[in-house]
Amino acid sequence: MTDDVVGGHLAARARRAASDWRDAVHQACSPLLEAGAISEDYPRRCVEMAEEHGPYFVLAPGIALAHARPEDGVASLGVAVVTLRDPVAFGHPDNDPVDVVFAFGSPDADQHIGLLSSLARHLIDGLADRLRAAEDDATAQQVLEEVRDDR
Amino acid sequence: MATRPEPVKVLTVCGVGMGSSLMLRMTVEEVLKKMGVAAKVEATDVSSARGMKADVIVGQGMHTEEFEGRAPVVVGITNFMDKEYLEEQLTEAFQAQGWLD
Repeated sequence: MTDDVVGGHLAARARRAASDWRDAVHQACSPLLEAGAISEDYPRRCVEMAEEHGPYFVLAPGIALAHARPEDGVASLGVAVVTLRDPVAFGHPDNDPVDVVFAFGSPDADQHIGLLSSLARHLIDGLADRLRAAEDDATAQQVLEEVRDDR
Repeated sequence: MATRPEPVKVLTVCGVGMGSSLMLRMTVEEVLKKMGVAAKVEATDVSSARGMKADVIVGQGMHTEEFEGRAPVVVGITNFMDKEYLEEQLTEAFQAQGWLD
């Protein structure tokens, strides 16, 4: 049923090396940049947001969700994820170190709600561990596609 | 037992009001539903939340300090997936308010 299918660009990359959390955020954003969903400024704004507000986007142990605002350069809705070969510290008091880094961009204040709600449900349901287990990009992509099914 | 607001107005807050707060909203809605509490949950950013009235504010631990005293119930959570912890905190706080037996 089309009602249960969530739209937006999805991209996953598996087991990359990142030098630090800033590099990890840039890598998480890069498929969205390549797809033209975000501008070149956007990854830098994501990093600035974290520096400004603290690492609030480390949502749970090992899991970060980087994003900035629609006006920071978002052309279309998308969620991307990179899993890291070696975890990095974001400076979060409880949830460091992080090895699953999501990035999303929404062109306005509403379009992402369906996609992120679905992402939240799938994370509660163990999505991060299934991504961690994916050894290559194609497998990780298949796993991420789960979020299109908003049960 | 004090009268519990019906529905309970809940704000979930984060730095920008688009990511973490939305994820928290999902968790809070599920937990309150399980507790049998009717609630209206809204995700927002820290600065907007300062000007809003609410019965309950839920945020990441690092954001909740400044909200102490701004709502009857303020709960900080560090893992948005930890429904058991959130239910424990909300139940305890609601009982302290006389909103739950």
